[in-house]
Amino acid sequence: MADVIEAAETHAEDHGGHGEHESFGIDNRKLGMWLFLSSEFLFFGALITNYMVYGNDTFGATVVPREIYDIPFTSVSSFVLLMSSLTMVLAHHSLATGDQNGTRTWLLATALLGSIFLGGQVFEFYEFINVYGMTLTTNPASSAFFMLTGFHGVHVAIGVIMLMSLFGMSRRQGGLSEGHGMNLELVGLYWHFVDIIWIVIFTIVYLLGAV
Amino acid sequence: MTDEAHHAPHPTTGQYVKIAIVLAVVTAVEVALFYIDEAVDMAGWDGPLLIILSFFKFVVVIGWFMHLRFEKPLLSRFFAGGFILALSLYGIVVGSFLVGLITR
Repeated sequence: MADVIEAAETHAEDHGGHGEHESFGIDNRKLGMWLFLSSEFLFFGALITNYMVYGNDTFGATVVPREIYDIPFTSVSSFVLLMSSLTMVLAHHSLATGDQNGTRTWLLATALLGSIFLGGQVFEFYEFINVYGMTLTTNPASSAFFMLTGFHGVHVAIGVIMLMSLFGMSRRQGGLSEGHGMNLELVGLYWHFVDIIWIVIFTIVYLLGAV
Repeated sequence: MTDEAHHAPHPTTGQYVKIAIVLAVVTAVEVALFYIDEAVDMAGWDGPLLIILSFFKFVVVIGWFMHLRFEKPLLSRFFAGGFILALSLYGIVVGSFLVGLITR
């Protein structure tokens, strides 16, 4: 076993001395996150395609998602999520410049903006269900809508939990270490990805409606 | 992406704010296009315009906020690979529905 470890270390040194945590000169965690995000295109692609195909399929029911969208409200939500990408990148930038207080402030701001977005989504779902009577099982169009926006909301919620974890870690330890800096970068990549998926959803689902 | 781009310095705080303002303005233009099309029929031009604007925002967030522009080209290839695969696969699915190859 010791021989294997020694061989691995020698191999790493032969390839630029990056150590066992790097492949192709890129940190394995970062490489893994980019691959994961790349695979997420297929996940959300399936849900977006499902909406594009079934978005007009009312199956006899009178209520159609695209006829009850509140565009001004969703536009504000989109703006909030877009600005959370700015606060996220500022958190990363603050950590890179050694500003631990700034990092905590921007992390908290990002989590707050994400929570506001989620609150807006909960309000939208509440209105659709209780005012318009459109539920997950009303028709294929409503199923496609709730599945797509619901799964995106779950991704945002996971992001908020990760942001708050980093914030709590930073408060407990009096700042994020260099090792935690990579964690922040990975959470940042995830957060921006959630934002770009919303950019697509906002245009295709809300502004363009269905095919 | 060239090595020069890879070694280029990351944007400053001010530049990040400017990028965010551009993204916010593009979002406002998108919403305006939606209402313009409701008031005056744009004869189908709103769709391509909205997709172009959305793609612009998509690229800006990936390139600058996700720093892909400043990363090694390998990451861009991995990411673009997933995107193109998804776009091709689902493009074929939607296209099949549109031309009636798949019936519901």
